[in-house]
Amino acid sequence: MPETDSLVIDDYEQAIELFYERGWTDGLPVVLPTRRLVDGMLAHCGRDRHESLGVIPPKGGRASIEKLAINAVMGGCRPEHFPIVLAAFEALLAPEHNLNGVSQTTHMCVSLAIVNGPISRELKFNSRDGVFGNGYRSNAAVGRAVRLGLWNLGGAVPWGTDKATLSHPGEYAFCIAEEEEDNPWEPLHIERGCPPGSDAVTVFACEGPQSVECDGTPAEMLHVLADQMCALGNNNVHFGGETLVILNPLNAEDFARGGWSKQDIRHYLWENARRPLNDIRACGAGSERMRKAQLDAGRYLARHVVDNPTTRVPVTSKPEDIHIVVAGGRSYFAAVLPGWGSFGGYAVTAQIKRPGS
Amino acid sequence: MEIMIPVWAQSDAEPIAKRHLSSLRGSRIALVDDNFDMHFTSHLEKLLCDIHGAVVERLIKPLGSAASPKALIEQAAKAEVAIVGIGL
Repeated sequence: MPETDSLVIDDYEQAIELFYERGWTDGLPVVLPTRRLVDGMLAHCGRDRHESLGVIPPKGGRASIEKLAINAVMGGCRPEHFPIVLAAFEALLAPEHNLNGVSQTTHMCVSLAIVNGPISRELKFNSRDGVFGNGYRSNAAVGRAVRLGLWNLGGAVPWGTDKATLSHPGEYAFCIAEEEEDNPWEPLHIERGCPPGSDAVTVFACEGPQSVECDGTPAEMLHVLADQMCALGNNNVHFGGETLVILNPLNAEDFARGGWSKQDIRHYLWENARRPLNDIRACGAGSERMRKAQLDAGRYLARHVVDNPTTRVPVTSKPEDIHIVVAGGRSYFAAVLPGWGSFGGYAVTAQIKRPGS
Repeated sequence: MEIMIPVWAQSDAEPIAKRHLSSLRGSRIALVDDNFDMHFTSHLEKLLCDIHGAVVERLIKPLGSAASPKALIEQAAKAEVAIVGIGL
C-alpha cells in the first residue's frame, strides 16, 4: 500500500490554490501530482516507493522514493527525469555536502546540479547557449524537482529555517548539463571517478554565475578569470573551500589548442587567484574575527596561518578544489561561481541509476 | 482527481511542556558551542557562571554548520536549559 496520504479534489484552480494555502509550493504553481502521474513515475524507476535515501535537513523529512516522485511530478519531470533527481538527492545527502548548513546559512549559496553522460543528450538538457537560463524542460524540471524536495521534505523555507540573507534565483531551479561533445577534455564526472559512458550528477553549493569577459590568449583569459575568482566579497577569499569555473566551448578549445589541460588551468588559477593578506584584513574586524574563530576551532586551513601582510592567500587550499566545467555558447564569456567557503557545500558526484541497470 | 501530498504528516504527539525557571542561579545550562565564535561563547559562559550563578556544561559541536550529533543532543537534553545556537 502507498504510505502517502492523498486527497480528492475535482476543481483544477482550487487544487492549485490549495498548494499555496498549505505551503507546498515555492511560489510558483505546480504540476498537480495526481496518483496516475506519481505511480507512472514510480513504475518507470522500478524502485520500492518506501525506500528512503535518508533524511533531508534541516527538518529531517524522510527522502522516500514516493515523496521524491511526488515532488518531481510537481516540478514538471517526466518519468525519465526521475533517476536524475534521485541521484541528485544521493549526492546532496552526502555528509561532505553539508546540506544542513547549505540550507540554513545566511550566505546565498544554492546547490547547483550538473548533469553528465549520455542521458544529458537523450533528455535534451541544455549545455550550450544560455545554459543557466530558461527554455529547456529538463534543466528546469530536474532543477525545480530538487528544490521542491528540499522545500517540502527538508523544510528549508525562507522566514523559517532558510536564513539566506539574499539567496539567488537558483532557489527555484539550478541545474545545468556539461557540454561533452564540443569539449576537448574529459567531462567532470569522469574526472571525479565515474566510468566512461556513465551518467552522473554533481552537486556543488555556490553563488549564482558571475560573468567573466574571457577572450584572447590563454594567458589573457587566465588573467581575468583569476581576478574574478578572488573578489574580496566572496567567501572563498576569506574561508577557502571550493569554487567553480565555467568555460564556454570556445574558451576550452582555445586553451586546448595552446596545450593547456584542465589540470594546468587549475594550477595556474590556484597560484594566481590570490589576495595579499593585508587586502583581506582590510575587509574589517568582522571578517578577521570569524577567520580567527575558525582558526581557534582547528577548522582553518594552514594557508591562513600566515602573518606577513604581503603573503598572497589562495582562494582554495589546493588546486583540485577549483572545479572546471565546459558549458555555454561559443563566445567570449565565461563564469565564476564562488562556493560557501570551508563550511561545506562541497562537490559530490553520484552516478545515475537507470531503470533496470 | 486524486492528488498525492508532497509532505509528511506532522506528528500528533503532544509537545513536551516547557518549564519556566524563576532564576538561572544554580540552574544547569547546556551551552552548545557551535564552533563559530569561541571568544563570544566563552564570554557568554563566563557571564552565565559569574553573574548569574548558573552551572554551565559546554558541549562543542564538531562542525558549526552541521547538525549536532545525537549524543550531544541527548546530553544537552539532560540540562534544565539548553542554548543551542548563537547568531552573529
